Amino acid sequence: MNSMIYKKKTPLLVFLIPAFAFLFVFLYYPFCQNILNTFLNIGGLGRGAEGVNEPWYENYRRLFTDPYMRTALKNTMLLIVCTVVFQVGIALILALLVDTIRVGAQFFRTVYFFPIVISATALGLMFNLIFLYKGGMVNQLLLSLGKLPYEVRPNGKMIVEWLDWKDQAHFLFTMFLPVMWQYVGFYFVILVTGLNNIPQDLYEAAALDGADGFRRTRYITLPLLCNVLCTCLVLAITGALKVFDLPWVMFGAGIPENLGWLTGTYMYDQTFNRMNVDYGSTIAVLIVVLGVVLSNVANRVFRPSEDL
Amino acid sequence: MKKTLALLLALVMVLSLGTVAFAADSVTLNVVTSYGGDDGNRANFEAAVKAYEASTGNKVNDGSATSNEEWKAKILTDFETGSEPDVLFFFTNADAEPFVTAGKVVSVDEIRAEYPDYATNMKSSMMAVASDGKQYSVPSSGYWENMFVNKAVLADCGIEVPGPDYTWDQFLSDCAVIKEAGYTPIACSLVEVPHYWFEFLVMNNGTVENQLDVPASVDDAAGQKWVAALEDFKALYEAGFFPANTLTASDAETVELFNAGEAAFLIDGSWKVGYFTANAADLNDFAISYVPAKGERSASEAIGGISMGYFITRKAWDDPAKREAAVEFVSQLTSDEVLSTFVTTEVTALVNGASPAGLNVLQQSAADANASITAISGAVQDTITSEAKGDLFGNIQNVVTGKMSPEDAVASAIALN
Repeated sequence: MNSMIYKKKTPLLVFLIPAFAFLFVFLYYPFCQNILNTFLNIGGLGRGAEGVNEPWYENYRRLFTDPYMRTALKNTMLLIVCTVVFQVGIALILALLVDTIRVGAQFFRTVYFFPIVISATALGLMFNLIFLYKGGMVNQLLLSLGKLPYEVRPNGKMIVEWLDWKDQAHFLFTMFLPVMWQYVGFYFVILVTGLNNIPQDLYEAAALDGADGFRRTRYITLPLLCNVLCTCLVLAITGALKVFDLPWVMFGAGIPENLGWLTGTYMYDQTFNRMNVDYGSTIAVLIVVLGVVLSNVANRVFRPSEDL
Repeated sequence: MKKTLALLLALVMVLSLGTVAFAADSVTLNVVTSYGGDDGNRANFEAAVKAYEASTGNKVNDGSATSNEEWKAKILTDFETGSEPDVLFFFTNADAEPFVTAGKVVSVDEIRAEYPDYATNMKSSMMAVASDGKQYSVPSSGYWENMFVNKAVLADCGIEVPGPDYTWDQFLSDCAVIKEAGYTPIACSLVEVPHYWFEFLVMNNGTVENQLDVPASVDDAAGQKWVAALEDFKALYEAGFFPANTLTASDAETVELFNAGEAAFLIDGSWKVGYFTANAADLNDFAISYVPAKGERSASEAIGGISMGYFITRKAWDDPAKREAAVEFVSQLTSDEVLSTFVTTEVTALVNGASPAGLNVLQQSAADANASITAISGAVQDTITSEAKGDLFGNIQNVVTGKMSPEDAVASAIALN
């Protein structure tokens, strides 16, 4: 009876085809259409194309000469590096620490995961208030610590030189910090799950051989966690390429002075605000290509050893 | 027992059929307006919608939001993708042309063929005419743009509230005094809402009569006027008259700066009166004044008119269940009684005029200022495409910081118009 299930492929197809059809209609077909759109002149979402661009590769030429696109790419690459180093790095350290404690592990799991369930829009508004120019939480704290210069005018008015956390000198920190903070919990949970799958007898054997905590982490935990880490890195890299909501709520269209673009925010602005749908499509293609290339590179670089 | 159960089931079935029949009589209208967010007429709009629902038994799905370029783009996209609302309160200028020319809204004449009383309380001469010569929208209240002043800040700096003879040189001199006293002279986010200042700076470099001239090239008269306006922007920025964070601040931040008594001048529209009425600690600290003038312009010349109206979409009109509901909704929302609750100092197209209730101190100040207005023009930004507008206003930050010349900014906008 069981063998019949594997011999008759029709039931398998019946279950596979709906999912495939769904993906085809809502992912692969739009993606192919999106590539086609990059060669057309489309002046608004839903509008028909007004012919082929002149020359047909005009959007790709613009992609490589557009200074704002260069800024967006530079910022996004920096975000990827920060994501890998800080998001996954901090998540790994927290996971290792929580894994070693016996009491309260569940509490910390919940606490660290919590930011994930809050909407990015709410977080963006919250961080906007935290970094607000006049009277924001950070600036008030700095003022009370005497870190912000101020003077009192003859009319008794106190003039404070508030720190602009969105200016050219600080915007990257202000933009990246909430993104890092929000997703640390996501990678933390994945890594903790990976740590739980490592057999305890390996640690017990190592302890009998005299290995201390650091050595157990270095020679048992990290090598056996490599697969999970690799997954986290691929997710972090592709996730950073698509980051949009938090930076958009906090920085809008390229604040400050068109230096704050990310690939995601620039694509949105071109498509929905500037009605330049074909160029927005071209940026989307670049994001997909970068995602595929970088995740493949990450897979190769962090591929686990065959010996494990 | 079985009989009782059968009876109960039959009763439930009959009742549910009755509910369906009742529900079928009730129409749900999808309505989108700009009376969202902190709009001063939000409460009046909600009250009017409730009254409509109570009188007709219909339901209104209110998709209202704050009007900005993103909102306009979303509305146009909804029309393009076939997900437009049944009734739309929207701009009647070039912004509406895409869905007007696509035949996605119904003309007033077509509606009157079936409902002869539709919008007959409006002056036909004041109803917007589209590029095909037809009228499609029923106007609500008009608007004005002028200069709000914080009287407390001016008093602390020893400056009088400006009158209709306010000159540009006097304004620059006042700004220097205000800055020296530790206040911000002009509350404006150059990165988010430079358009109010743009309109008046353009008028300052031209006249109220040629305000709506759109440049065909940088070198023509209108192009030179726009270039000069951008140069004025740069001069104000370099003098430090805008907030220190004007290139990173949101509109809400700079308005709050003004509201909190940290800034002296704010150019905004009639809709902002409601904001200060609701949020000002002391409404007596605020007044409506005049935007300083130079060249041929007088400070008593301002921006204003009727720029928005109610459209009934073709989708709703062609739906027999929604046609009457949509017509009734627009008729109620534009009735003399309802519009009188929306209006304080704005112009209307009502044949009988509006009868607003008692004015508060700021509304009275606006009424006094409007009484001295000698000429009015629409906003030139309403006559150019969204792409050109987005590009022009997006480049103002580049102009004031010297990253782009005013000529290049104007040329870039012209190319997209």
